[in-house]
Amino acid sequence: MSAHVIVGASMAGATAAITLREEGAGAITVIGGEPEAPYERPPLSKAYLRGEVTFDSALVRPAAFYAEHDIKTMLGVRAVRIDTTERFVELEDRRRVPYDTVLIATGGRNRRLSIPGADLAGIYGLRTVHDADRVREAMVSGRRAVVVGMGFIGSEVAASLRKKGLEVTAIDPGRTPLFRVFGEDVGRSIAELHRAHGVRTIFEDTVAAFEGDGHVASVLTRGGLRLECDFVVAGVGIEPAVEITDGSGIGVDNGVIVDEFLETNINGIFAAGDVANQYHRLFRRYIRLEHWQNAVRQGAAAAHNMLGHRSSYQEIPWFWSDQYDLNLQYVGFHTTWDQMVVRGRLDAGNYLACYINNGRVDAAVGLNRARDIRRILPLIRSRASVDLNRLQDESVDLRSQALFASN
Amino acid sequence: MSAEFVPTGIATADVPPGGLVVADVRGTRIAIANVGGTYYAFDDTCTHQQCSLADGDLAGNTVTCMCHGAEFDVRTGEVLAPPAPSPVKVYRIRVEAGALQIEVG
Repeated sequence: MSAHVIVGASMAGATAAITLREEGAGAITVIGGEPEAPYERPPLSKAYLRGEVTFDSALVRPAAFYAEHDIKTMLGVRAVRIDTTERFVELEDRRRVPYDTVLIATGGRNRRLSIPGADLAGIYGLRTVHDADRVREAMVSGRRAVVVGMGFIGSEVAASLRKKGLEVTAIDPGRTPLFRVFGEDVGRSIAELHRAHGVRTIFEDTVAAFEGDGHVASVLTRGGLRLECDFVVAGVGIEPAVEITDGSGIGVDNGVIVDEFLETNINGIFAAGDVANQYHRLFRRYIRLEHWQNAVRQGAAAAHNMLGHRSSYQEIPWFWSDQYDLNLQYVGFHTTWDQMVVRGRLDAGNYLACYINNGRVDAAVGLNRARDIRRILPLIRSRASVDLNRLQDESVDLRSQALFASN
Repeated sequence: MSAEFVPTGIATADVPPGGLVVADVRGTRIAIANVGGTYYAFDDTCTHQQCSLADGDLAGNTVTCMCHGAEFDVRTGEVLAPPAPSPVKVYRIRVEAGALQIEVG
C-alpha cells in the first residue's frame, strides 16, 4: 500500500487529501504547522474578520472528517526536511514519516517590514486565523487603523475595517491600489471606491518607521507624514514557504518549481497552491498564484497525478476579491499588456477591463461583472486573436464568434 | 402543517429552456430552472455568501453561482463544486394550467 504524505494542512493540502481518498489511495498523512484543521483563508480578511461567520464555517471539512475517512493528520507540528534518498519526511520533533509520494503544499508566509519600530505591539499581518483573531481584538469601532499595502489583502481589510466603523488610512507605494497588477485606470477606480467609503488614501509614499512606546502610536512616512493610529495591519505580500526543500535537491525559484503535471524535478514529489511555481502550457510560462481556486484545483490535480496519472494542469486562473458591496473578479493571467480594452465604464464602477497582448486577451478584471468574467474565459483559453473594436462593443456578446479577428 | 403545493407566480412561459428565474414564495426566494423542458425549484440563496443563484448560469443540470463559482445540481441541491459549504434545499414542482407550483410545508 502506497504512502502519500502531504506537507501543509492548507486548502491545497486538504483538497489533495480528500481527492486521494476519493480516488482510492492507500495511506494518507497530512502534516501541518498550524494547530487547526485545514481551513479556507478568504474569509479571514472579510466575513470572519468582521465577525459575521464562525471559524467552523471556514473549515474545509469538519475536523472529524479526516479520521472518519482514514486520513491521518499531524497538526501543530512542522515538517522540516524531506530525505529524498531514504524517502521520509522529518518533523521538527525528529519524527520521520516514510513516503512513496509527497505533496508540498506549504503556502507562504507574510513578508515583514524591515524598518524601525516594526516589532512594536499592535502591528499585525494577516495570513492565519490566529492573525485574524488578533486583528479582530483590535477592531473596535472608532479606533484608528493604518493599512500598509493596498494589494488584495490590504484592500479587503480596509473595507472590512470601514464596515466595522473604524477610521482607516491606507498607504501604498503605487499610484493606486493594485497598481502593479491592474494598472492605473483600474487601480484608480478601486481607489475611488475606497475613498467613497471613507478611507483616507495615501499613494506613492511608503512607511519609514513605526513609532510608539511599546505599542505603535503612529506611522511615519518617507514623504514626511505622521499618521497617528491605534494599530496597523500590514499586507505587503508573501514569500513562498520553501524551507522544507532545503538540502533535498528539489528545484526552487520563486517557489517550488513544478512541471505541467505539478511534479518537481524529483520523481514522486509534487507541489500545489501558493508555494508552487508551475509551468503552464497555455500561457507558456511559469506561474505562481496566491489564490483560492488555484489551491483547490492544483491540490486535486496533484493528488490525481500522485496516483500515477499524467494529467496536465491547464486551468485558467480565476479569483475574486469582495470589497464593500463590490464583487471584483479576475480571470486569465497577465503581467504586462500592450493594450487594454474596456467594456462598460471605469468611472461608473461597472466594467470589464481586458488585458491584451499581440491582439489576444490574456486576462480580464471585472467590477460587478461576474457574468462577463465567466463568458470571456473561453476566449482567453482559445488564445485566439480578437477583434478589439468588437470586444469593446457591449452589444457584441462575449460568446459570439464575431469577436474572433478575421484572418 | 402538512405539505402543500402553492403558486409561485411564475408561468412556464416565463422560464425558457436553459433559463433561471426567481420567485418569492411566502417570503422565501426560490429559484426555478428549466432543464430541457423539466422544471426544478431550489433555494435561490447560495449557501456560501448568499448570492442569488437565479443570477447564475445554468448548464445542463448544473447551476453556477456568479459570485464565487460554487456549483449545485438543480435536481438534488447537491454541491458539485466549492466554495459552497452545504447543499441548497430543493422543492417538488408541478405545472397547473401553465403555472408553476412548488411544494412547501
